[in-house]
Amino acid sequence: MDAGTLRRKIGGKWSGRGGSWWLLVTIGQVRGVARQMLNGEARFAAVVAAPADAGALRVMWHWDVRGTLLSLESILPPGSFMPTIADIYPGADWAERETRDYFAVTFEGRESTPPLMLRASDAPGILLASKRARA
Amino acid sequence: MSYRIPIGPYHLALEEPYKIEVECEGETVVGASLKVGFNFRGIEWLAQHKNITKTIALVERVCGICSNVHSMTFCMALERIGEIEVPEKAKYVRVAIAELERLHSHLLWAGVAAELVGFQTLFMHVFRLREIVMDALEAISGNRVNYSMNRIGGVNRAIERPDRVLEAVAEIRRVVTESVIPVFTTDRTVAARCTGVGILRRADAIALGAVGPVARASGVDVDLRRDHPYLAYGDLDFKVPVQAGGDVLARVVVRALEMLESCRMIEQAIERMPAGPLHAGDIYAVPPGEAIVRAEAPRGEVFYYVESDGSDTVARLKIRTPTFLNIPTVQAMVKGNAFADVPLIQASVDPCYSCTDR
Repeated sequence: MDAGTLRRKIGGKWSGRGGSWWLLVTIGQVRGVARQMLNGEARFAAVVAAPADAGALRVMWHWDVRGTLLSLESILPPGSFMPTIADIYPGADWAERETRDYFAVTFEGRESTPPLMLRASDAPGILLASKRARA
Repeated sequence: MSYRIPIGPYHLALEEPYKIEVECEGETVVGASLKVGFNFRGIEWLAQHKNITKTIALVERVCGICSNVHSMTFCMALERIGEIEVPEKAKYVRVAIAELERLHSHLLWAGVAAELVGFQTLFMHVFRLREIVMDALEAISGNRVNYSMNRIGGVNRAIERPDRVLEAVAEIRRVVTESVIPVFTTDRTVAARCTGVGILRRADAIALGAVGPVARASGVDVDLRRDHPYLAYGDLDFKVPVQAGGDVLARVVVRALEMLESCRMIEQAIERMPAGPLHAGDIYAVPPGEAIVRAEAPRGEVFYYVESDGSDTVARLKIRTPTFLNIPTVQAMVKGNAFADVPLIQASVDPCYSCTDR
């Protein structure tokens, strides 16, 4: 399945910017879209998180379809949880653990989320601390 | 009765630390878990505290083998945000360096694989070839590891003696064709160690997100240089080797054939290199914006997300290296294999823990 067909199948309002096709989704839509990506043989590429306004976090999932990048974006309000997609895409396991290391995101639905880069005794969210320091 | 064998994080024959815990029944592996992070340097954090010029040098140190692809991809992301036009000549120089780096990486891997198979003569033979590539890169850049070729909007220097690069490429192609490929594909020792060992099924490769030679050896026909051409790759003729076997031998064959394709690409890049400037001038910041740029590193797709707030320091940098996705595939590859094959199987991924940990 090519990227255009997969986008149409997933539906929603996709927009092209910065080297990818983007779809803004709610937290509740993330897993459903991930399943559609897998059915379309999209290759999981990355999870990226970045601070947004008012303490929220932008969480972005990226998939490759024959050289074209498809990206989901969702806004995570402070104190909220993000659903895991690691049971759908095992390749997302490390990406979610690293996102927890960097931004203290809790991914719901996982048995556990051990740190990937940090030590077990380290507090997660090292890039959140970084943002505060810069501000 | 099953038992667990912890290996690492420090290894006798590998400089980089990681831990693999293997669960066996008899001598058969039934599961494995990996632990990384021993080499974590917080490069993404550091990048958000240094100016962009320093960050180019910083990201070149993500990896000691594919150093160039990191500075190149980072610069390409900034160029996309800033809509900076890179001179044609610089694109060709970048391609030549990127493919020389791929030759270096694949030869290094072939040497390590030969040693793990128990073929010391082949290891020496391959490492002699690797020296030729490193000499060529040193002649161009003055350095054998961190070449410092990239800057925002182009490259720092030209290839002053293209004739010497072409000589080096001709010698590498000759030896790879006449001895490296025949030995790796016909020698009984190599075949016995590699055939049917460490199979990664195509569906697992997709679900785990495998990239580069690991994916292509499992029948996943992906290569950004062809599928999403960047720099001057769209102007070059080359093939993307793909194997369906998914075993260690398939990964050997894919990398061996890729070396020949890299030789073709370097020759074309040098022969077709246009005249003109090397860069777009001195650029120390880009306007606010975000960009994702991916490049085909020797081990597979490298992914950069860059967010700029318009200052001379990036607001967010995310680096996802190929090994970050490829290493977890080892857990699928080792199941059902003999414990003695675990070192070779994990090496067949061509792992880089420095890249993974950043």
